[in-house]
Amino acid sequence: MIGPSIEIKGSVSGDEDLTIQGRVEGTIDLGDHEVTVGETGKVNADITARTVRIDGEVSGDIRGTEKVVISKSGNVKGNIIAPRMTLEDGAIFKGSIDMDPGEPAKVSLAPKAAPAATPSPSPAADKSPGLDLKQG
Amino acid sequence: MSEQQSSQLLPGLFERLNEEVRVNVLHIGPALPETVEFFSGYRCKLFFVDLFAELPLAFEPGDELTVQQHMQELLDFPLGTNFDICLFWDIFNYLDAEAAGAFMDCLQPMLTPMVRAHAFGVHNTRATQRALQYGILSRSDLNLRPRPAPLPGYAPLPQAKLQSLLGELSVERSVLLAESRLELLLKGPGVKTRRVAPR
Repeated sequence: MIGPSIEIKGSVSGDEDLTIQGRVEGTIDLGDHEVTVGETGKVNADITARTVRIDGEVSGDIRGTEKVVISKSGNVKGNIIAPRMTLEDGAIFKGSIDMDPGEPAKVSLAPKAAPAATPSPSPAADKSPGLDLKQG
Repeated sequence: MSEQQSSQLLPGLFERLNEEVRVNVLHIGPALPETVEFFSGYRCKLFFVDLFAELPLAFEPGDELTVQQHMQELLDFPLGTNFDICLFWDIFNYLDAEAAGAFMDCLQPMLTPMVRAHAFGVHNTRATQRALQYGILSRSDLNLRPRPAPLPGYAPLPQAKLQSLLGELSVERSVLLAESRLELLLKGPGVKTRRVAPR
């Protein structure tokens, strides 16, 4: 955990999950772990991790090998590469999202005859935030 | 309160969108959860540019940048970026002829010949403003969210004027909607239009 009063300039790496409530400038590489930028976190860095959750502010590119979540309080400016992406209602995002990072196609549980069902077109019920994508 | 609206033109827009082909999508407007969710079912890269947040986009005496220069800054994509699908929504209702021309001039080199695009225009330039954000729920349904406040610079272009500003894009199909609004499906020069059998 990087506390709210901590400011780091440089590269951050490690072998455990990390929550950032302070400021980080540089690069963050947590490999196969999870990075959470908390509501008070301000990150000006590229982030690489298995899962990246943004509740605060990030300016930089984000690579999530499993998924990236921008919560309703999240504000991201940058490019995201992740096979699964969740944008919650109220989240602010500027940039691009690459949902095809070149990994083998996932097997869809949705019936082949109804490809539109994969993105779950259910109407009003899904105003609720935080739908996790590509869950099948 | 958001409302759902079915669209006759969306299926044509998404004709090439399938699980096999990778496509680049330009979305003019804020990123909305339902749109991200919809595209997450496909191999694609989404580019979000919220031009609506930059309105009014008109040149005023004393401005440092011309509309063309400002537009180039806003549409600054990595070299080699090409778009297969463009979602313009109703941005043309907020751009004067100079800004709309500059917008298309900047975009034109990045459009593939097979590009398809979606836009809302008006049948009558006196059509009332609808302050909405547009999201995609499915291949044939839109989600319309009210904006907290009307956007500045609403001055819809006449149909003929708009068509003359679209560069190599042309109108493939249009549908007249309520309140004199028009929904437009646009196509690049490489798209062959299929004849639709009369009902």
